[in-house]
Amino acid sequence: MTSGITIRYLLLHAYGRGGTIRTVMNQANSLVAAGWDVELVSVLRRRDTVQFPLDPRVTVSTLVDLRESAQEPPRGLLARLRDRRRARQLEEPAREIPRGEFGYRYFNRHVEDAVIAYVASLRDGVLVTTRPALNFLAARHATGGVVRVAQEHMNHGTHRADVQRRIVECYPRFDAVAVLTERDRQDYQQLLPGTRVIRIPNAVHSLDQIPSRHDSKIAVAAGRLFPQKGFDLLIPAWARLVEKYPDWQLRIYGSGEKKAELRALIEEHHLYNHVFLMGHTDRLDDELAKASFYVLSSRFEGLPMVMIEAMSHALPVVAFDCPTGPADVLTHGVDGLLVPPEDTVALADAMGRLMADQELRAEMGTAALLTAASYGPDSVHPRWEALFTELHETRHHDGAAKGLHV
Amino acid sequence: MWPRDGRIRVVGRLHGRRGDGGRDWQLLLVRRSSTREQLRYGARVEGDRFESEVPVADLAAYDPAGIEQWDLHFTDGEVKLRAGRQLDDIRGKKNIMVFPAQRVPAARGTLTVQPYYTVQDNLSLECRV
Repeated sequence: MTSGITIRYLLLHAYGRGGTIRTVMNQANSLVAAGWDVELVSVLRRRDTVQFPLDPRVTVSTLVDLRESAQEPPRGLLARLRDRRRARQLEEPAREIPRGEFGYRYFNRHVEDAVIAYVASLRDGVLVTTRPALNFLAARHATGGVVRVAQEHMNHGTHRADVQRRIVECYPRFDAVAVLTERDRQDYQQLLPGTRVIRIPNAVHSLDQIPSRHDSKIAVAAGRLFPQKGFDLLIPAWARLVEKYPDWQLRIYGSGEKKAELRALIEEHHLYNHVFLMGHTDRLDDELAKASFYVLSSRFEGLPMVMIEAMSHALPVVAFDCPTGPADVLTHGVDGLLVPPEDTVALADAMGRLMADQELRAEMGTAALLTAASYGPDSVHPRWEALFTELHETRHHDGAAKGLHV
Repeated sequence: MWPRDGRIRVVGRLHGRRGDGGRDWQLLLVRRSSTREQLRYGARVEGDRFESEVPVADLAAYDPAGIEQWDLHFTDGEVKLRAGRQLDDIRGKKNIMVFPAQRVPAARGTLTVQPYYTVQDNLSLECRV
């Protein structure tokens, strides 16, 4: 079915639980099912097992294993010297990663060298790098003949100035730069004239979901308990509604470092009977099916996949119109309600509208299901196949043409 | 559960028992380490809805040795119903439905009183100095 092209995805941590990881695994599963050879390469490894469903035909390898079990005491002089060098390099800062990269703290000289050695060794197939730091290293060092694709999972405006500068320097060397939203595609195209910038949204893992009946008095939000997700804005918004809608619950799924602060905020607003920090769940699908609408209170996003998953359960959405994603996906008044970013009063008003009106929830929920359909694996993943095939053919055609001129 | 302003207000519904049978209902606190020690508070019951409250300072009279628990019940003198939350879909309430602690002066320092769900999703109070 394919020409035996190997697709290699380079991830910072394939063993983590983030949205990028989940998305890349969905892509890998679809590609391997379509007959492609797919490898995932994890720069770091902190866990024993992968956290999302992954087809066993997808191979996973690690560049730097940080698990304690992986640290064997060195034997012999050479091993001790190598170990000492490794320890020293683990302490030294990376040379090629700008400090503003949100993953900067995971990089050091040792990790950086391991990535450079790996990408420089590639001679064929396609290398897909999945965050700015890895994109920068691939742009400079993956020069052995591999087709290169840079993925951007965050919107451009979110990156710090030093990262934005490096993007302009490095990304023109890629065969293609893939972004998630139309707004981002325009932004990147303007910054990178002459570079191929393509929009391919992430796909939800399935469209075959149990639809909400819109009769429960449950709203759901989900994400890491982290400032980006804006749960500190959502809780005060709920406080404005609790008197009028005392039977309603807000369930926030996810774990993270801001749990204690959010708990304090819940206590401050006396919402401990209404707003629940549910923790991490392996069965978010089931929880979404029980809800009546979904709330997205993020300060920024790339493309919020859990929101689209919620829509695949026929849940209408109330969302801040933050960069980027919500406005790309939602049509205000049709499949959800968009309100000005970080405006808690407007967020509360929009949630109140849905809480007051089951018919409106059902109507918008049906529209949301239709919207979600264009983010199904069957709509999205063929676009990756087409891109990889085309880039590979272009490379080989060019190579052959050059060969004739020698 | 409304732990605020020096009180713990408990609002809920009776199941398997109507509250309007002419009997007086009470909220009953049973000290787990010594079940003969009990506190009782009048409850307002209408249909199946009950409501009662505990002044947190009442618990200061019982000097806890380390951490102590009091289990909440409702009783009409004939039956004793354990207070809890069983009829929803949320499992593991202990870590999800978490209530604020309140502090009152006690003989050996400040007593912290915090309602919580047990692992069986029943309601109890935890007291610690």
